[in-house]
Amino acid sequence: MQHQFQRQARIRAVRVLCAAMVLGTAAGAAAADAIAPKDGKIGFALTGARWAIYQTDNGKEECPQGFNEGPREQFKALFPNGGTVEATQLRREGLARYPQDREDKFPYREAAGKTAIGLNLDDKVGPNDFTSQAGASGIDNQLFRAIGCTRLFRAPDGTFAHFTNMWVRELGFNRILIELTGVDSLVNDDAVSVSLYRGLDRLMTDATGANIMPGGSNRVDERFGAKFIHHLKGKIVDGVLTTQPADVYWPWAVFLGRPGAYTIRGLRFDVKLDSQKGEGLVGGYADVDSWYEQLVRSWSTHHSSYGGLSQPSLYPVLRRLADGYPDESGAMTAISSALTVQMVQVFIQHDADVVTAAQGRHSPNKSDGL
Amino acid sequence: MESSELDGPVFADARGMTLYYWPYTTMRNGITGDPKNASVCTDTPTTKTAGLMSPYPPGLVLPELDKRQSCTAVWPPALADDNAKPVGAFTIITRTDGKKQWAYDGHALYTSVLDQRPGDVMGATTRRSFGDGPAAREVATPPPAIPPGFAIATTATGRQLLTDKRYSVYASTQDGPGKSNCDAACTRTWAPIIAPESARPQGDWSILERSPGIRQWAFRQQPLYTYVLDSSLASQQGSDVSGWHNVYTQQAPLPPRGFTVQDSTTGVVLADGNGRTLYVYNCADDSYDQLNCNLPDSPQAYRLAICGGGKVERCLHDWPYVVATADERSTSRTWSVVEIDPQTGHLATPGQAGAQRVWAYRGSPVYTYVGDARPGDINGNGNGEFGGSRNGFKAFFLRDDFFGNNL
Repeated sequence: MQHQFQRQARIRAVRVLCAAMVLGTAAGAAAADAIAPKDGKIGFALTGARWAIYQTDNGKEECPQGFNEGPREQFKALFPNGGTVEATQLRREGLARYPQDREDKFPYREAAGKTAIGLNLDDKVGPNDFTSQAGASGIDNQLFRAIGCTRLFRAPDGTFAHFTNMWVRELGFNRILIELTGVDSLVNDDAVSVSLYRGLDRLMTDATGANIMPGGSNRVDERFGAKFIHHLKGKIVDGVLTTQPADVYWPWAVFLGRPGAYTIRGLRFDVKLDSQKGEGLVGGYADVDSWYEQLVRSWSTHHSSYGGLSQPSLYPVLRRLADGYPDESGAMTAISSALTVQMVQVFIQHDADVVTAAQGRHSPNKSDGL
Repeated sequence: MESSELDGPVFADARGMTLYYWPYTTMRNGITGDPKNASVCTDTPTTKTAGLMSPYPPGLVLPELDKRQSCTAVWPPALADDNAKPVGAFTIITRTDGKKQWAYDGHALYTSVLDQRPGDVMGATTRRSFGDGPAAREVATPPPAIPPGFAIATTATGRQLLTDKRYSVYASTQDGPGKSNCDAACTRTWAPIIAPESARPQGDWSILERSPGIRQWAFRQQPLYTYVLDSSLASQQGSDVSGWHNVYTQQAPLPPRGFTVQDSTTGVVLADGNGRTLYVYNCADDSYDQLNCNLPDSPQAYRLAICGGGKVERCLHDWPYVVATADERSTSRTWSVVEIDPQTGHLATPGQAGAQRVWAYRGSPVYTYVGDARPGDINGNGNGEFGGSRNGFKAFFLRDDFFGNNL
């Protein structure tokens, strides 16, 4: 992933240089006009999303103490001779749901180092902030510090990272549509409107079925997706869309039959766009309690075992590292975070009765058996 | 054969009690259930977990051993007389103790101690469940009387008619009995279900001729269609279009009066009178027997771990029962009022002080969740082991548009 961002940074630099070279020329104006979307409107569908984890090849830089141990290891350490179901299995399951009852103190390895992927969410540079690979300071991503040394969340092998990214595409529940309106240019526009919807239709792929193609269409789910509709203000600078912070409810179903969502406060986009696709970051402060509950509900102890995630061990770390949205007592309720995202252009249909190009019969149970 | 409220016609023993079987089932770490033509359900109570479900090891001591019943005490085998003879798909197997047991299609048959009257299906259901649920017993049912190309799914709303590829079947109020008024423009959205030349009417099923040589199936005189805009299997999306509705061979019993339905992010959920989503509690233990632990008379340690970290008062606060008022009565076999001792979670004794009258679905109390702030919230859904499939809570979905109507 870091290579993608390095490449993106280089591309951005080249684009800025090119834009400067043609500034004020007729050719430059023609290029901008050519990428102004029809009627000032363009839509995208989310095709990938992962919690942003800065990773080096061997993990030594960000995880010098190694990776976390999970439920199997902790169970073995706690109950080497077994016991009753109540005193062992159910005690651990209860603790996952009520981690404030924490009764064991296994070591927890947080991500270290200065580098992280993310955005400067508070426009400040604090002592706990990271620096991006491109050198930007003030990066707020304490969620990375909390989960960066848990293999479950690391790509490409971590099962959470792998499968949740896949389900962004494959589960209709997660069909996030991003619609930009009032767009004069996809290169530079100081005021655009950005709306988030949940779509109803599958994504159009190439003949292999493996690659999602631009140009499909998708209906808006205005009924059951009503809670996922949000309207943001943004701008485009050098082809990068940024938005003002807004509280967003972000659909996140996993497996089959486990619908869910994250409450992300002050969410903002920082995504490089063109007329076909988008790639970049979505940052914001994830509400700690609902983020944790979503994890516990959706990712069982069994599944967490394949990746060294002990939920009871993680919760106090999330609370301690939380860095946003204090409650009346001053305790922070949200933790800075970032998602790496990819998106592809789609035609968003607001009239639900329209028969669309991408719509068609398919099995939503394609992932059955995972 | 008997009629049941949820599962349609069911096979029954001579007393009319519903018959069940226990399919051979692959779990995370092994297999349990009956292989064909054999029964592994024994008279000996199991005492330890089998380790079928990761990540916990086998050999953990099961709760309340002093009260634990054997598999056959909970699922009495449908024994055959010495003189009994096989009839069609009904065959006879020999148990390990030498007794004869009826089997259907090679599956050993049982009754359930939970069933009290003919037609009860309190022991199990044919309804599908996702993923890592228990190795559950299923109701033994005859093949449905439907033409080739159709299927029936047991859902929360009833016995839903589908195509054999699980697409929903719809009918229109604009059609007359045995007559389609869906014109060419209409058929671009509503595809008539075509009956082949060889098809013949039978029972509730008839055939109308749309145009010369083009024959369409009808059920109970209603011409049948599929909806081209359905984006989910077993969908109810077409029923959102005015005049169109899903087709059921049998509706599920209505929920108690005063309950409401609410839109969630996934579909429609059943809710209490204040709009709070209802939850059912699922539980089966990790023994080879896979005995239920979701009922009031089951060990409550499983539920208490999930609903309160083992603490009763927290359970009562976070997952309150749905209280039935003094004048509310059971409305069906499926929906009943039971009296619960809230401190133990067990059924109360008659006249017990502090007992609560609560609503139960198929004998197991339903709950609301303190974390649901607004009508339609489903924040408690999936809370439990394996997303609530084994030991946990699932929202009472009447419709889901995203997971094949299987929630």
